[in-house]
Amino acid sequence: MKTAQFVEGPAGSGKTTHAIEHIRSLIVDQGVRPDEILLLVPQRVLGRPYQIAFSSPDWPGGADITPVTIGGLARRSLELFWPLIAEKAGFAHPTWEPGFLTIETAQYFMAQFVNEAVETGVFDSISVTPFRIMNQTLDNLSKAAMNQFTLDEVASRLVAAWGDRHSSRPPVYRASLDLAARFRDHCLENSLLDFSLQIDLFMKDLLQEPVFERYVKRAYRHLVADNLEENFPVVADFIRWAWDMLDSALLVYDTDAGYRSFLGADPAGMHDLADLCDEVLAFQPLQSANSAILALAGEFSSRLDSATPVPAPSPANPLEAVHFSTHTFYPQMIDWTVDRISELVAGGVSPREIVVLAPFLGDSLRFSLAQGLEQRDIPVVSHRPSRAVRDEPAARTVLTLMSLAYPEWGYAPPSADIADALGQVIDGLDPARAWLLATIVYKQQSGELSSFDAIEARAQQRITYRAGERYEELRQWLVDSRDLAASNPPDVFISYLFGEVLSQPGFGYHADLDAGRVVAELVESARKFRQTLYPHGIEDWSSVSKEYVTLVRKGLLAALYVASWHAEDQDAVFVSPAYTFLMRNRQVDYQFWLDIGSSHWWERLEQPLTHPYVLSRNFPAGQIWTDDLEYAARREALRRLVVGLARRCREGIFAVAAQLGEQGYEQQGPLLLLLEQLGRQVDADGAG
Amino acid sequence: MLPSDFRFSQTSLQDYVDCPRRFQLRYVDAQPWPAVQSQPVLERERHLDLGTRFHRLVERHQLGMEPDTLARTVDDPQLQAWWSAYLGFDYLHTMEGERFPEFRASVDIEGHRVVVAYDLLVLRPEGNVVILDWKTHRWPPSAEWFAARMQSRLYPLVLVLAARRGVFGAVVRPEQVSLVYWLVGSSGDVVEFAYNEAQFESDLSYVGSVLRGVDRESAREEWFKTADEAQCRLCEYRSLCGRDVEIGAFDQFGIDVGNIVSDDVVLFEDVSEVGF
Ligand code: SF4
Repeated sequence: MKTAQFVEGPAGSGKTTHAIEHIRSLIVDQGVRPDEILLLVPQRVLGRPYQIAFSSPDWPGGADITPVTIGGLARRSLELFWPLIAEKAGFAHPTWEPGFLTIETAQYFMAQFVNEAVETGVFDSISVTPFRIMNQTLDNLSKAAMNQFTLDEVASRLVAAWGDRHSSRPPVYRASLDLAARFRDHCLENSLLDFSLQIDLFMKDLLQEPVFERYVKRAYRHLVADNLEENFPVVADFIRWAWDMLDSALLVYDTDAGYRSFLGADPAGMHDLADLCDEVLAFQPLQSANSAILALAGEFSSRLDSATPVPAPSPANPLEAVHFSTHTFYPQMIDWTVDRISELVAGGVSPREIVVLAPFLGDSLRFSLAQGLEQRDIPVVSHRPSRAVRDEPAARTVLTLMSLAYPEWGYAPPSADIADALGQVIDGLDPARAWLLATIVYKQQSGELSSFDAIEARAQQRITYRAGERYEELRQWLVDSRDLAASNPPDVFISYLFGEVLSQPGFGYHADLDAGRVVAELVESARKFRQTLYPHGIEDWSSVSKEYVTLVRKGLLAALYVASWHAEDQDAVFVSPAYTFLMRNRQVDYQFWLDIGSSHWWERLEQPLTHPYVLSRNFPAGQIWTDDLEYAARREALRRLVVGLARRCREGIFAVAAQLGEQGYEQQGPLLLLLEQLGRQVDADGAG
Repeated sequence: MLPSDFRFSQTSLQDYVDCPRRFQLRYVDAQPWPAVQSQPVLERERHLDLGTRFHRLVERHQLGMEPDTLARTVDDPQLQAWWSAYLGFDYLHTMEGERFPEFRASVDIEGHRVVVAYDLLVLRPEGNVVILDWKTHRWPPSAEWFAARMQSRLYPLVLVLAARRGVFGAVVRPEQVSLVYWLVGSSGDVVEFAYNEAQFESDLSYVGSVLRGVDRESAREEWFKTADEAQCRLCEYRSLCGRDVEIGAFDQFGIDVGNIVSDDVVLFEDVSEVGF
């Protein structure tokens, strides 16, 4: 290694700009070929500032640089070098190409094992849905891989950390790890690679292959790794492995961050990489930064972490950076927020410079905010973390219509579902008429629709002939498409249904772009399902379609909604969970922190089958996870969160509370207490 | 508005040339429309999958893996036929030079970032560069058809521009570039296009005019819809656009495996239960 630099500093201190200039200099001044630069980020969105820089007209370029995550690097490498390791790694059919599983397709397989285990009653002592058992078991596999623990090690850590609280938990941990082991065996038997197996194979097998080592040596001469603090322990292992093969390295570390610690990120372990570097640079916040906000971040830091020195007295008053507002009821808090945003926009602030943040973003909050802002013609985009496909009306409609197309399933949807579906898809059919039509033409016993022509003229008139014509078209299509339904997998059938009927003129989804998005998600989820479970096809697809629809109805399949950056690029107010915004790593002028009295600002999701801190190399194996440790971890997470948010704000924060939360309970969460305490202290200092 | 990190590719530029409205829906609005694009759907999917696997096999071979090791993963007669043809493709195997499989070049053209993914580049000892592209179409398209494609204009053009940025250590003149399509899926023939300064200038001006067209269309709420309804037969947006045409067959020449290597990766956050 000729040069290695470690750059650390808080958000907004210019680290990424420095890294981009470093890459430019490698290309322009040193004549490095861009594709010889490995640009490693913990999450694809964190590569976005680079993508934007690389897309600008003055970028030197010539060849492409794509920011990659360790998962992406592992996957691409395994895809390429698979024949070298498949046999050694213990796959039953090493000549089969690997099937890469996403979270959703991993769930398809895990779901079978979880269902069986739940039936035995082994998880009865915890009240957790099968869906969450499945996810937390997959989480255990991931944590094992990113720390390079064995599954036995994971089990013994969890059991030891539980201590002697009560004895029902250790068997549950072991049951989860048994599921994980069965799942892993299944993957080895069928050449399937979930995230954890990809990381394991990459670290344990591929890095030992001389051919792969030669390839890396030739392909990558320079490393730039940004947001190291958000990355996993295996990333440090990989960097150490590659170190001597590289000509240069630039490692970038955000001192206040580490937001993904509860996902397995290892800020402390990554910081140790500084020891490998011959130069360590500490960046300070830019001079132009708002001094009141800097003072606020300093106050947060020292109040929540006794190890952080109390900031030097600053001429700036931190309270100038934050505006408090308290309301009795939740809707008042939302109305107030909408009013303030309108004022800001009317005063010339670009909507894109405003974010509204909450610890969780429920549908009703999202809806109320969006509605309020849209009524004032203020564009808004929201990030939806995930939700089950079946919750979307367009998806429910498609699933209902599918049941009618496959009478052999023997599933007859309730009349109310039929009425909803008809109301959705037949243009101009209001709910009352849809209900009337459904009650006349649908017989739940047979699960079939009868013809519009056969109903009484008076009823036809009320429903309207035009709607009746459409209904007949739909009904006839469903009848005529039985062969199509049997000879095609569910995704293809839905595509035909959507394209040939539901999106045609006269039907409800003709120009309905949102319905297009939702149904596209459903199609994608169904496609992944059958490609993963039935990669070689099947003669009659009807049973597969039934299996898919049943799993969706049970809520076991949750197609993730990945909000596109594209939408977030718009000049619109961004509404999002606080952590999601942090991981976008972008600065804005104004932030609204909603519901600051909620204890969710510092609580982590209860995960009875796994543990983010115990399954970490930094936590000593065999140690008990005490209440004191939990309290300290929460305080530290809250500190990182509020400091991180403050550092990503230029002008001001609106901290808004509702005394009665969404569910009507009084709220006094730690963030509210912290802000109140800060207010009192600063007022007292000012008075003194 | 296109996203600020949008990069034009041969596929998106071809989409624009075929139908500006399609470009708008796909890239500007990122609007999914889950109708069938072309049929038979499963046959198309299988064909694309085999094409992807073939591209990967060649890349593995070009990276130095042994043919015997690779042959073990070939379990389909169609793929076997392509693989055997590849092993006997002396045109390539006897060609001297440094090889760059799946190379991605990135250049700026009139303020727009354009990225091209080459199946294989061979940098010949005398400084010439051969661009090779594998075509798994079932029917052999004509040389005229290829000549009219955006790919045939963009690939050599971007290569010359990228070389000016020093990617290959030296400037590559247009005369030193050739573009070779190998029709492995059909006749097994090679369709070769030589390049020259005049063609380079013409391509630069053509691609520039297409990019300016994109800029101009951006001002319109709804971009221009093609008058050629044959395009709509192979386009999933036909119901949205009110084009009452039959769904086209996938093995018409419009469908291609395209650029196989995708930078789509499994996001880690897809795997973990997110606490907040
Ligand atoms: S359907 Fe036709 S007009 Fe519409 S986007 Fe596609 S090609 Fe263009």
